Amino acid sequence: MTEKLTIAQALNKAHHQLMESEPRVVVIGEDIVGGAGLGGKELGGVFGVTEGLAARFGKSRVIDTPISETAFVGMGVGAAMTGLMPIVEIMFCDFVGVCFDQLLNQAAKARFLSNDTLEMPLVIRTTMGAGDGSGAMHSQSLHGLLASVPGLEVVCPSTPADAAGLLKAAIKSPNPVIMLEHKGLYGLADNTKEDLPLVKLGEARLVREGRDVTIVAVAEMLKRAEKAAELLAARGIETEVIDPRTIQPLDAGAVLYSVQKTRRLLVVDEGPHFGGFADSVIAAVSSEGFHLLRSAPQKLTPPNTPVPYGTQLEAAWLPSVEDIVNKIDEMMYEE
Amino acid sequence: MQTLLELYSKASFIRAFELHVAVAAEAGHVPGLVHLCTGAELVEVAICSQLKGPRDQVTGSHRSHGLALAMGANPTAIAAEIMGRKGGISKARGGTQHLMAPRNGFLTSNGIVGAQVPLAAGAALTAKMMDARGIAVTFFGDGAANQGAVFETINLAVALELPLLFVLENNGLGQSTSVQYASGGSDLLKRAAGFGIKTASMDGYDGANCLNVAADIVEYVRKNGKPALIEAKVPRLSGHYFGEKADYLAHHNAEDPIENLAAQLGAGARAKAKSEADQAAHDAVGDALNMGEATVEASS
Repeated sequence: MTEKLTIAQALNKAHHQLMESEPRVVVIGEDIVGGAGLGGKELGGVFGVTEGLAARFGKSRVIDTPISETAFVGMGVGAAMTGLMPIVEIMFCDFVGVCFDQLLNQAAKARFLSNDTLEMPLVIRTTMGAGDGSGAMHSQSLHGLLASVPGLEVVCPSTPADAAGLLKAAIKSPNPVIMLEHKGLYGLADNTKEDLPLVKLGEARLVREGRDVTIVAVAEMLKRAEKAAELLAARGIETEVIDPRTIQPLDAGAVLYSVQKTRRLLVVDEGPHFGGFADSVIAAVSSEGFHLLRSAPQKLTPPNTPVPYGTQLEAAWLPSVEDIVNKIDEMMYEE
Repeated sequence: MQTLLELYSKASFIRAFELHVAVAAEAGHVPGLVHLCTGAELVEVAICSQLKGPRDQVTGSHRSHGLALAMGANPTAIAAEIMGRKGGISKARGGTQHLMAPRNGFLTSNGIVGAQVPLAAGAALTAKMMDARGIAVTFFGDGAANQGAVFETINLAVALELPLLFVLENNGLGQSTSVQYASGGSDLLKRAAGFGIKTASMDGYDGANCLNVAADIVEYVRKNGKPALIEAKVPRLSGHYFGEKADYLAHHNAEDPIENLAAQLGAGARAKAKSEADQAAHDAVGDALNMGEATVEASS
């Protein structure tokens, strides 16, 4: 039995399944029920991911909070340390700036400092991604920044099945997991299995096979890489596309295995140009597989500026399908 | 409720423990700096004696040796953790500022001023969900009282009706900065009351007052499932960290609450309690010292 669901619908269904099967799961965030103190119809979150949860499981388990990220993220951390399984929503990943101590120093370190005697079944869900005119403070992609903190696991799903499956794996992990969902992909629909099976953390997905060049990308950049691969195939250049799905721990083995065949690597990412996810993938491949590469490993990222607002400015800021095609052409003709 | 003699006995043990840790630090047996809780013992023992772990959970600041002990954590394992020894409660991964004994109801202390306060909201949420009349208690100082994390959490606890007791230990000093200088408005209780939370004062120099206020306020939080905040006036009898040599300390005069309490007790009982406390602290710190430094193999 398969069902066509959007990423938002798959996430919503996974929440329902998790809350039904595990009474310790609580969902915490701003406006996730909506209209608190006013009544009226449930909002179900800004992107509809938490729709229907409060009506079914009650407001003691689906908790609207004041706009106080430090307090409610910290509450999630403390609740996970004492036996609950909280799924905490930070509405936009840009807001981690407000509560970074609770992520950097509390969530990330508690398990280590307990000598691993405490489990931290905490999931933090948030968004990422530019392209919808949300401006500099609602559009960043901070997966690389978060993945650089020892103790945090980070995932970026790009399909409905992966979004649901990674959420289920995240809540089972003894470590805190941050899931970044691309705002532009919530409406992306695909077939899913009825039970939305768990997707193991740390396992990449081979999206497309090819012999000439390997592209690594997540979320919207993965979609663009797939389109670029189609265009290149028409000209006889075969691109292998890998979706790491988990940023930390990175499935470097899957990328190395691919590069062994293609001998070329391009990472396309919405994260920062300096010290970002793209750099980490390139470093991992270069140090382990330098001998495999026949051209310099490359990255395509936005320039080193905040996300601009105007439609044309924002479009120019993001790596485009054309940018990917051009970069691969350069790599192919470099030798 | 416990007697003044019991309070004296437990407080004296924590005091002796801290003094033995100080001796060990001076002898070079502690990896970093230690922040002693001397002066706050009566408040901490009085409140913790109303609690029972793991149903109730406590979080504390960087100055939390006494809280971990007051909740019943193993003194040798705590001393070993402070000194980076093999038998440390977290095998020396955490150390003096990151003590964790959740099975005893001491969830965690913290290296970031005020960060332990939101964590206690989580413990309170768990207690509320488990519905076993458990509560969470978070201790923080007047320095942390100016952190946003604390304001946010007081507000959150009121909005969500969490069984969470805030204990503001006002020792008049945030590191080396006086509370008069650092606080807009000198009355921290009034500030808290603005959030719509029940408040109470505790005189940390008066053992009987500590016991009475602790019993009342813990009962209030437990029975009503609502937050409350205590401001406890306490001295800080050492530097920000042990061994600090700074001029400002000469301007911070304080009497010793344990001495006040001792004066109210019979000489015989008092001497016996003090000598037992000294011996127990001596043994705990001595046993920890003998364990040898934690090794990488033993901690991984």
